[in-house]
Amino acid sequence: MRFTKTPTASKRSRATLAAAAAVTLASTLAACGAAEEGGGDDEIVIGISLPLTGDFSEPGKGIQRGYEAWAEYVNDNGGLLGRDVRLEMLDDQSSAERVAADYEKLINQEQVDLVVGPFSTRLVIPAAQVAQDYGYLFVEPAGAAPEVFEEGFENLFYAAPAVADDHYKLLAEHILAMPESERPKTAAYASMDDPFAQGTAYGLKDALEEGGIKTVADEVYPPNTTDFSSIAAKIADTKADMVVGGSQYQDGVNLIVALQQLDYQPKLAAFSTAPTETEFAEAIGDKTQGIIAPTGYTTKADYPENQEFVKFYEEKHGEAPGEDEANAWTTGQVVAAAVEAVECAEPDPDCQSKLIDWLHENEVETVVGPLSWDDKGRPQSAHMIQQWVDGEIKIVLPEDQAEAEFVYPKPAW
Amino acid sequence: MLSASRHKTATHQAGRTSQGRSVLLTKLVVAAVLLGLVLAFPALAPDPFILSVGVVIASYAALAVAWNFVGGLTGYISLGHAAYSGLGGYGTALLVTEAGVNPWVSMVVAAVLVGLAAVPIGIASLRVRGASFVIVSIALVLILLLVAQSWAEVTGGSNGLRVPRPFGTDVLRPEQHERFFYLFVALTLVALVLWWVIDRSRLGTGLKAIREDEDKAQALGVPTFAYKLVVFVVSAFMTAMAGGMYALWFGSLDPIFQFSILTGSYLVLMSLLGGVRSLLGPVVGAVIVGYAVEFFKNQYGDSQMHLVALGVLLALVVLFMPDGVIPWVSAQLGRFRPGDTSIREVDAAQLAEERKALEEAKS
Amino acid sequence: MSGSLLLQSLILGLLLGGLYALLAAGLTLYFGVMRVVMIAHSAFLILAAYLAWFFTTQTGLDPLLSLIITVPLFFAAGYGMQRALLSRLRPATLTMMSVLLTFAIALIIEGGLGYLFSGTQRRIQLGYSSASLELWGARIAVVKLVAFGLAAVSLLALYLLLKKTRFGQALRATIQHREAAQLLGIDTDRIAGFGFGLGLATAAVGGTALALDATIYPSLHWHWIGPLMAIIVIGGLGSIPGAAVAAMLLGVTQALLQIPMGTTWAQTVFYLALFATLMFRPQGFFGGRLAQRF
Repeated sequence: MRFTKTPTASKRSRATLAAAAAVTLASTLAACGAAEEGGGDDEIVIGISLPLTGDFSEPGKGIQRGYEAWAEYVNDNGGLLGRDVRLEMLDDQSSAERVAADYEKLINQEQVDLVVGPFSTRLVIPAAQVAQDYGYLFVEPAGAAPEVFEEGFENLFYAAPAVADDHYKLLAEHILAMPESERPKTAAYASMDDPFAQGTAYGLKDALEEGGIKTVADEVYPPNTTDFSSIAAKIADTKADMVVGGSQYQDGVNLIVALQQLDYQPKLAAFSTAPTETEFAEAIGDKTQGIIAPTGYTTKADYPENQEFVKFYEEKHGEAPGEDEANAWTTGQVVAAAVEAVECAEPDPDCQSKLIDWLHENEVETVVGPLSWDDKGRPQSAHMIQQWVDGEIKIVLPEDQAEAEFVYPKPAW
Repeated sequence: MLSASRHKTATHQAGRTSQGRSVLLTKLVVAAVLLGLVLAFPALAPDPFILSVGVVIASYAALAVAWNFVGGLTGYISLGHAAYSGLGGYGTALLVTEAGVNPWVSMVVAAVLVGLAAVPIGIASLRVRGASFVIVSIALVLILLLVAQSWAEVTGGSNGLRVPRPFGTDVLRPEQHERFFYLFVALTLVALVLWWVIDRSRLGTGLKAIREDEDKAQALGVPTFAYKLVVFVVSAFMTAMAGGMYALWFGSLDPIFQFSILTGSYLVLMSLLGGVRSLLGPVVGAVIVGYAVEFFKNQYGDSQMHLVALGVLLALVVLFMPDGVIPWVSAQLGRFRPGDTSIREVDAAQLAEERKALEEAKS
Repeated sequence: MSGSLLLQSLILGLLLGGLYALLAAGLTLYFGVMRVVMIAHSAFLILAAYLAWFFTTQTGLDPLLSLIITVPLFFAAGYGMQRALLSRLRPATLTMMSVLLTFAIALIIEGGLGYLFSGTQRRIQLGYSSASLELWGARIAVVKLVAFGLAAVSLLALYLLLKKTRFGQALRATIQHREAAQLLGIDTDRIAGFGFGLGLATAAVGGTALALDATIYPSLHWHWIGPLMAIIVIGGLGSIPGAAVAAMLLGVTQALLQIPMGTTWAQTVFYLALFATLMFRPQGFFGGRLAQRF
């Protein structure tokens, strides 16, 4: 008889365990939420989810520095509507599933007053969906790809000068304005399979194809590609006059090194993002001759907001801010402008929809210049074009902002 | 050792008739209470975030039970079940967006298609023994990840695929969570009933014979290959159902997260933790692991240490309690009961097996 | 497509195939001695690559010198892993449980690397990174040539060790028939441990070779384990020459398919070949009696 006890007891303990787990699940998760519920009268809590670990952790940390610097600056200058700004940040590990859960938590459990966006297009879309479902305004620093604006979000605003397709707009105009005989005749494209990176390269491709420049290679590689030798071999084999890379950072470096290994010498080489990073020159062994890149931000821009930002940031960190930091700061500025104008910052749907309406109708002065948006949240300005000249990266387009002449054809690398 | 266990089962047989009814009654009461608690969860959850965590855990439970058709009944461990849930999700999404089929019909149709696709995969990987099965299971996830990323015209590539809501826009987000919570619980129950039926059937007996010693089972005339294939297909079908339901709930699919080896390994950990040989083991494992993941994220968030923790946990389970944590714990507790300490060459799980086999022999 | 592109791709394929061959040899060695599918093999590969990168960034010396440390270290780790962990598993469920155990080790390595060095992609800066040699119109990067040379020398050393030494004989005997080897007085447990150590040493060499010319990041090992596992099944589980031949063939096929299909689709060749092999010739193309049962 005793033997029958063991299995029954084990079944029962299993059941109790499950029940206990179910109850503690609800209560402990609730407890940790209730403890830190924020948003009293004396402060404005802004909820953010950022990729502090995982694939996007490097730019994620740049965005984080930008947001933190902005909040500090605002609080040093009397806060928003006289209330202090507090940032509530969560790490989404660069995962789309986490990012949705994070905003769900920020809005419901932390009851934040405002939310602002994460990094990368892939994370922006699921996050914007949650914000929209709860009626929140959603200004974001990093979702530039065309897809973001085709989902019908009414609450979304991209806080940078231009969407990905338009990053090379000035370069395309410049190339097509060259006399027919000097112009490059063929172009090779290689792009990461990423909405942002691909958007930049294909924006240029569409414009150049329309202008009669023939596409001789069009390669797409997945985000984690590390071996670029075969892509480089195909590009080099076409002997295209110009090469365009829709790159993030490391893939751009790898592709350039692989092209150099094959001794391919184009007349023009343009890569997004990578050439603007500080470590770029060292990473490709200083063979930077004439490489072109678009940028949405420069510390040298003479808007008063920007000079204040650069001064404040340099005092804090001892170095100049980069594009990620500037985009986060811009996001803060955009939200702040709306809050000051409609004089509210609460989770309440009325307040949030007033903020959204205001941004659709107005222009905001920011560190990247005045920004305004179309009805889908697309910003209406343009990116500058930079080029590596004599070991330094300089603005070459538009001509009124240029620090150096546009060099074409580029010297051998 | 043999004689000892035979003696035990004999004693156990004698005790059974008087105790049988009350045991069954206790089981039923416990099950009813448990189910009641689960069903009351949405009402108890203090805010929609916790409700959404509940939905994730319920989806894990459905997936883990679906995994356990192969893992528990045959002993073949698949690290690649994310392949079937991902296919279910993408299939559902594509049927809804491209063909305009009703979302729920899409979910079932997609799962049936995945079940059909599992037939050739099963034939390739089950003809030989475990090693090839594992290799194929991992390879399948990796190949599907490549395809989902590259075949952008259909899958949306790395941009992902958006799935429209199955409920109208007037159904607010918290209410969506609640409905999906019940849907996942219902799916889990269906899977549990199916597992229980197979477990009791002739098919189940044959499968367990394969699990214990495939050579002997084959020699005794069990059609091992056919049996393995049947549960493999059932498992793929149920996994795809859960994957499709997840796609409808979450609303967007990203290849990296749909076809992830990590998701598959979470399912393995859940089932092993709860005990692959028992009906409710995977459910218990899903609740523990799902809750632990959420808890550690809350407490320690910002580091890669969660991978290390998962690895260490998995290694500990494999090395010290391959039959599951709960069977192990109850065996350890059982050791301290008077009279139960003297003869323990056979552990509780093995005893349970013998008992089941005897029952089946009688019926 | 021009002839020079074809030649270029062929050369790239051969260079890559050499690295695949070395790594697959290690993977099939574990299977031979222990019937274990070692999922963590490529995680150790990435670990070795990280060690080479770390060594170079800290000391400024050539990454090849890190082999002096990593090879013995990995040999010892492999021996220790076999004796302390894998030999503890029950023989009846060894195949399945060893998969899970080595999978767990892979996760621990990946998480540990991510914790220590973050998820950022890393690349060794070498003076000769973009240097190349010309051969009949094709260009061969010096770093790739060095990596291939390293793999070829190690594979040759492994071959000689197995064919020409007493230890090699004992190891092969253990692979072919464990009980018979025991009857002949071979300490098969120790030999199995050494076999594991050798397998892991190939990962150390492979990782250093990889680090010369590629970017590394913690989760990169998933991109290697799939093709490597396909190679050992196609070559026949447990057969080292089979693995080497399959690796070269598939490496070249992949490189050639990249011309018309692009990088991503070309990778699927490994998996298609795997499924085809299991459908029509489950024991692989060079596998013997052993491969038929697994």
